[in-house]
Amino acid sequence: MAIHSKSHLQPEDYSKLADQFVPNSDKVLATSPYDSELGKNMARDARKVINGKLKIEDFHRVYSASLIKEFGDQYASGPSETSQNSSTSAGTGPKWGMVIDLKKCVGCDTCTVSCKAENRTPPGMSYNVVLETIKGDYPNFSITNLPKPCMQCDNPPCVQVCPTRATYKMENGIVIIDNDRCIGCRYCMVACPYGSRSYDFGNSYEQEMIGYNDVTSPEYGIERGKRKKGDVPEETVRKCSFCYHRLQRGEEPACVETCIGDARYFGDMSDPNSVVSKLAASPRAFRLKEELGTKPRVVYLR
Amino acid sequence: MNTKANLVNNMLTPEHKKGKLEKIYWISLFIVFGVGVYSIITGYFMQGMESTYLSNIVPWGGWIAFYIYFIGLSAGSFLLSTLVYGFGMEKFEKIGRAALLSAIVCMITGILFVFLDIGRPDHVMNAVIYWNVTSTMSWEIHFYIVYLILLVVELYFSMRNDLVKVAKSNNFKGKLSRFLIFNKQEYTDIDKGKDKKRLKIMGIIGIPLAIFGVHGGTGSIFAVLKAQPYLNSALFPLIFIISALVSGTALSIAIYVIKCKVKKQQADHSMIRSLGSMLALFIGIEIIMVWYEFLVGFYGLEHEELGTLQLIMGSPYSWSFWLFQMGFALLFPLILLVIKKTRESINWILGASVMVLIGVVGVRFNMVIPTLIMPKIDGMPYGNYYMNLSEWLTSFGVIAMCLILYTIGEKLFPIDELDSHEKGVSKHE
Repeated sequence: MAIHSKSHLQPEDYSKLADQFVPNSDKVLATSPYDSELGKNMARDARKVINGKLKIEDFHRVYSASLIKEFGDQYASGPSETSQNSSTSAGTGPKWGMVIDLKKCVGCDTCTVSCKAENRTPPGMSYNVVLETIKGDYPNFSITNLPKPCMQCDNPPCVQVCPTRATYKMENGIVIIDNDRCIGCRYCMVACPYGSRSYDFGNSYEQEMIGYNDVTSPEYGIERGKRKKGDVPEETVRKCSFCYHRLQRGEEPACVETCIGDARYFGDMSDPNSVVSKLAASPRAFRLKEELGTKPRVVYLR
Repeated sequence: MNTKANLVNNMLTPEHKKGKLEKIYWISLFIVFGVGVYSIITGYFMQGMESTYLSNIVPWGGWIAFYIYFIGLSAGSFLLSTLVYGFGMEKFEKIGRAALLSAIVCMITGILFVFLDIGRPDHVMNAVIYWNVTSTMSWEIHFYIVYLILLVVELYFSMRNDLVKVAKSNNFKGKLSRFLIFNKQEYTDIDKGKDKKRLKIMGIIGIPLAIFGVHGGTGSIFAVLKAQPYLNSALFPLIFIISALVSGTALSIAIYVIKCKVKKQQADHSMIRSLGSMLALFIGIEIIMVWYEFLVGFYGLEHEELGTLQLIMGSPYSWSFWLFQMGFALLFPLILLVIKKTRESINWILGASVMVLIGVVGVRFNMVIPTLIMPKIDGMPYGNYYMNLSEWLTSFGVIAMCLILYTIGEKLFPIDELDSHEKGVSKHE
């Protein structure tokens, strides 16, 4: 290694090279039609804002006048606008919904498997199942495959009955469970018309799969580390969360991403132009047990 | 010395036999209780819910059935006691305190059963702290606490005059009584009037509490579930209340008659007979309600409800419906209490009460389990649930604890009215 390292470039060499490659910033800025000094000062103070040494309001107060002078009509930013932005993000974020096309579903159970892998659910628990019903007798029969995640109802019966408010509806439409508060009474499981909730009996795949207990899924964005006997979420109720932890990183739920027939669609139901909204408005659309008034956010296409 | 001599003298007398019987009673209870504690520790505390045969399809099982059974016994016996303390029916005064004590003990037992069914006992206080106003169960938890306090206070005031009498003796019972009455020396007529008024107020507050809060509320825990069409009917909480009255009356009769038999006292025939006819009335009302519940259920032709009814009446477990629910809990005792020859006999009334007490267990199981076994959506599997050994041992242990608590309560406090006892003896002589 020592012999080779002599012939290799050291970090200092790279910075020397970079000095030659990158053109002089002052020269480049001089070609700009706008004020270079203003830009440099703003960049310096923006770093202070990021570090928390300067308030964003003060930043705007200092530069607002010179920015308007410099950019005129094109300049349309200020402290008032940022507060508006924050209010809009609290009120009208996405309202997640799922559309499942039963004509496209081939019943391969990929969603079930990928859900199990993603959420690392213990034995006997599956957030997503595919129910297969056969109608008629051979040769005149039809098979319906019904993938069934949590419906994330808008009027969730489980939230109604939870004695501790451990399960509740979020603004983005997802019904979540606070496992740290759940007492494990299983009332919500009895109340759910879709059988979407499961109880963590504390089982583990550790016998068949070495290392199963070492990693748990960061459900609802909470890292819980190793799965230990007696630790939350054991002995509490768990369910599908539309892979909330994946949504937080900008990914689709695992079942949607892995569906081989592209039968699942996921998106913002509050946006009338989104694919899911358009599909949900189709005459093929129906929801499970609509007569109960639960208003599921999972829509099926017949 | 004297007592020892007496003991030797009474070697072969009934008194000695009674002592032996009591010994057997205590030893067997403690054995069952000990086994129950062992199974709670090895099952519930070491393995959690995995020690049961519960599953994701049948999340509630035998413990919940026993929980509503005991809550029903408690509410029923309490409602019976309000006849004495709330409405002043002095005819039933002899069973008033026993009914209150059994209401307390059954309430504790019921709460213990539901506590065992909770997966995370370490989180249980959340149910008291974070009150969800739309959750019937949350209301129930709070009502149970208030109700239990009311029962204890009511029992205390109902036996205060006898506590003063007992406090004069110098044994442990006397000391305990002295502590409980804060060294009160005399029980005057003013006290008596005050206590009567207090009892009346508490009885009257207790009636809506027991009906709406405790048992009707427990019924509505189940009745509000639209996911379970079999349970989701407005009649269901009423059936809960009426079957609570049935089982509570039966419990009071059974306790009173058995106690009289053990103590070799003369039982009050006319009171037992009128309690027996009350039991018959309650059973009659329950039959009417159950009939309409099933009639409307069948007419709905709803797939899940029909499936549940089929499971109840035609599955391999249907013996629990035909023998226990229809037979022991309704028809057999009703027949016994209607036929002239048997309704006059104390033994037959006791028999009918014991039948009811056994049968209502079946009623409670049929309320909880079949509806959960029925799949909620086509294509989902049927559940399979029966109580395993650990669940049974735990249940019997808790029931043994119930009996132990009741007997200790009887031993420590003047549950039998001292006056009436003396009167009864003098009349007898």
